[in-house]
Amino acid sequence: MSNEINAQNRMSDEQLIEQILSGNKETFRLLVEKYQQQVFRIAMGYVHSKEDAEDIVQEVFIQVYRSLNSFQGKSEFSTWLYRITMNTSLNSLNKRHKLFSGLAENLKNIFNRSDDEKTAQQQMVESEMEQAIKKAIDQLSDKQRMAFVLSRYEDLSQRKVAEIMETTEGAVEQLLQRAKKNLQNKLNKLVGN
Amino acid sequence: MKMEDYINDVIDKEKQVQPNPFLSTRIMARLESETAREAKRIPAWQKLAVAASLGLVVMMGVGIGNTRYSNSNTSSSLNINDSQIEGLNYYIAMDYE
Repeated sequence: MSNEINAQNRMSDEQLIEQILSGNKETFRLLVEKYQQQVFRIAMGYVHSKEDAEDIVQEVFIQVYRSLNSFQGKSEFSTWLYRITMNTSLNSLNKRHKLFSGLAENLKNIFNRSDDEKTAQQQMVESEMEQAIKKAIDQLSDKQRMAFVLSRYEDLSQRKVAEIMETTEGAVEQLLQRAKKNLQNKLNKLVGN
Repeated sequence: MKMEDYINDVIDKEKQVQPNPFLSTRIMARLESETAREAKRIPAWQKLAVAASLGLVVMMGVGIGNTRYSNSNTSSSLNINDSQIEGLNYYIAMDYE
């Protein structure tokens, strides 16, 4: 039994997909376990909340299971999965009432502050800065945000990001530079530099 | 602290958040329940087929009923002729004697 599990763990994505499509549903769990962290990190880059990110992970994998037979293998499975994750995250953001999630996040920050050596004022400043940075990331354009999240949250190479976004490496580099500049401008205005 | 460092700190903090260890189990359970729900769902063509066969059965019933009525209308009736029962020929014959 354990040999069988080890063998399944060593399977390539194509082999796993083949098994799932032939009706072995339990193999899908291996695919989920292999990629859930990556999907979760990207979702975090979009919603900045553990619970909301987990909801997105669920949505993504349900969608992957439903449309697995339409995956033609022209690109890597991970590229296809990242595209689904980006689209699901964007759709989820459009559906959500940002006001409520922002309010909930602020309340959580107030009540869950770590009780370390930092003073209350320091904690307050840091928390505000954190919120401002998240807000600034959220205000980036869709493309800049996509490139930024894939590159910074998932540490993907510019080549991979370009492949996922179906664009050139040069375009991705430009998007990342603009994203960085926009973030700094917005935050500098806020801090008053 | 530079702005870039603040940004990196926030991103690193978010990257350290771990999903629920039972997330994959939750996903598999949801998949299972959705598959079961889909299996229970009756496809539209089946609903249509059931409705059509019910209609057909009703129409066949009406048809069979009509056939029975029309048969009863054409059934032969028994006419009793008293002259045949009495055997009048016998009496007539007696008169000639």
